[in-house]
Amino acid sequence: MIPAVPAVLAEIAGIAVRNALPDVHPADRASSLGLSAALLGMAAEVWDGMAARLVEENRAVRRLLARGGEVGLDLAALAAGSDEDLRISALKAANDALRAGLIDLHAAAEAKGATELEAAIWAELRASTERRKLAASPV
Amino acid sequence: MALEPRLAAYIAARMPQAAEVAVHDLTRISGGASRETYRFRLTWREDGQGRERRLILRRDPPASLIDTERRIEFEAYRAFAGSAVPVPQMLWLEEADEALDHPFFIAEEIAGFQASPALLFAPPYVSTLAKLGERKWTILGEIAKADAGALGLTEVMEPVAAEACWDRELSYWERVLDDDAAEPLPITRAAIRWLRANPPPPARKVGVVHGDFRTGNFLYDEAGGIHGVLDWEMCHLGDPLEDLGWSFNPVWSFGQGLAGGLLPRAEAISVWERASGLTADPAALHWWELFNCVKGQAIWISSARVFLDGGNREPITVYPPWALQNAQDRATLQVMGRL
Repeated sequence: MIPAVPAVLAEIAGIAVRNALPDVHPADRASSLGLSAALLGMAAEVWDGMAARLVEENRAVRRLLARGGEVGLDLAALAAGSDEDLRISALKAANDALRAGLIDLHAAAEAKGATELEAAIWAELRASTERRKLAASPV
Repeated sequence: MALEPRLAAYIAARMPQAAEVAVHDLTRISGGASRETYRFRLTWREDGQGRERRLILRRDPPASLIDTERRIEFEAYRAFAGSAVPVPQMLWLEEADEALDHPFFIAEEIAGFQASPALLFAPPYVSTLAKLGERKWTILGEIAKADAGALGLTEVMEPVAAEACWDRELSYWERVLDDDAAEPLPITRAAIRWLRANPPPPARKVGVVHGDFRTGNFLYDEAGGIHGVLDWEMCHLGDPLEDLGWSFNPVWSFGQGLAGGLLPRAEAISVWERASGLTADPAALHWWELFNCVKGQAIWISSARVFLDGGNREPITVYPPWALQNAQDRATLQVMGRL
C-alpha cells in the first residue's frame, strides 16, 4: 500500500494529538478522526498478511520473469533474486522491481503473440488483486 | 486572523448595499481532496432589515490531487444555472491569494439534501434507487445534449476535434500516471496499451463533459429527486461517452452490482440515450469505460503522490489510494473481461 503504512500511522498519531486539543472545531475533528479511523481499519486488515503476500507474489512474478527468453527478454538476473530480507520495505522494493519487469514481459508477450505466456501473466495479475483485496472493496 | 472575519470582509466589499455583514457557523464539509469546502451562514442588514443566506465556500487547498482551474469549474456551474441540469447558484470567484490565502469561489448552499452514497442503500433511500438512477442518467443525458457554444463554455474551455478527444484525454492521464506513480502499475499499463491499439471512432458530438459525474457528486432527496450536480472541477469539452463511461466505472457500484449502485447498465444507457438524443455505440462506450479505469487510477495515485511529496498529509489524501487503487485494478480487469 502506498503511502506506506508506517508513514500513515505516524501521521495519524499526530492527528490524534492535534484533535485532543480543546479548540478544534467539532466538524473538523469529526472529519479528521472519521477518516483516520477508516485508515486504521485498513491498516489493521492488511498488517498480518502483508509480508506473506509480498513473498508469495515475488515468487510468482519471478517464475514468470524466468520465461523472458520466450519473448527475447533476458530477465534472468531479476528472476534469480530471493527474499532474504523480510522487512516489508525490502519486500516491497523487490516487488516494485519485479512488477516493473512484469510490465516489460507483458508488453513483449503481446507484441510477439506469446498467448500462453500472456495468459499466465493475466492469471498472476488477477491473483495480485485477490491478494490485495480489502473486505470492503467495491469490486 | 480567523477565516470568518476575512470572509465577511471580502463579501461586504461585494455587497455595497449591505451593512453589518457577518459570517456564522463556518463548518468544513468532510470529503473532497481537491478543494476545501465549507458551509456558512451569512447575515447582513439591508434597507433596514436583517437578511440571511446559506452559502458555500470552495477554496483551493495548499496541494491538491487534481490540478484544475477554478474558473472553469465556476463557469461550468454558471452555464447550467436555470437549465434542466440542477446546479447551485455561483456568486463570486476570486483567483488571487490575498483575500483567503488561496483562490476560492462562493456559491449558494442547496440545503436539506444528501450527497453521501453510504446513505443510499438503507431506508428511506433504498426504495427510490431506480427512480434516482433514472434521474441521474437523464441529467447526464441533458449535459451531453447541451450546446457548449451556446452556454459560453467554448470561451473558457480548450477546444478539441471530434477525432482527437480520446487521444487528448488518454495522453493527459497517462502523463499524470508517468509523473505521479510511486510503484509499477502492470494492470493499468496493460489497459493503456489496449486503449492505444484499439482507439474509438471519432466523437459523434463534441460536447460538455462533466468529468466526475458519479453517485456521490449530486444532492438527492428521499423521493429519488436530484437537486444539485456538484464537483464540476474536471469539466471540459469532449466526447459525451466519456461521462457515461465514468458513471459506469465499477468502483462506483458500491458493491451493489448495478451501475452507480442504482440501475442495471443497459437501463442506464437507455435513459441516457433518450435524454441526450445520442446513441451509445457499444464498442466506443467500452473504450471509454476502460479509459475511465485508467483515469480513476491516475486520480488515486495522484492523491498518494500529494501525501508522499508532503503537500498535504491529511487522511483524505491516503483514503483514495488505499481504498480504491486495488479496486480500480479489479475494475480494469472486469472491463477488459479478465476478472
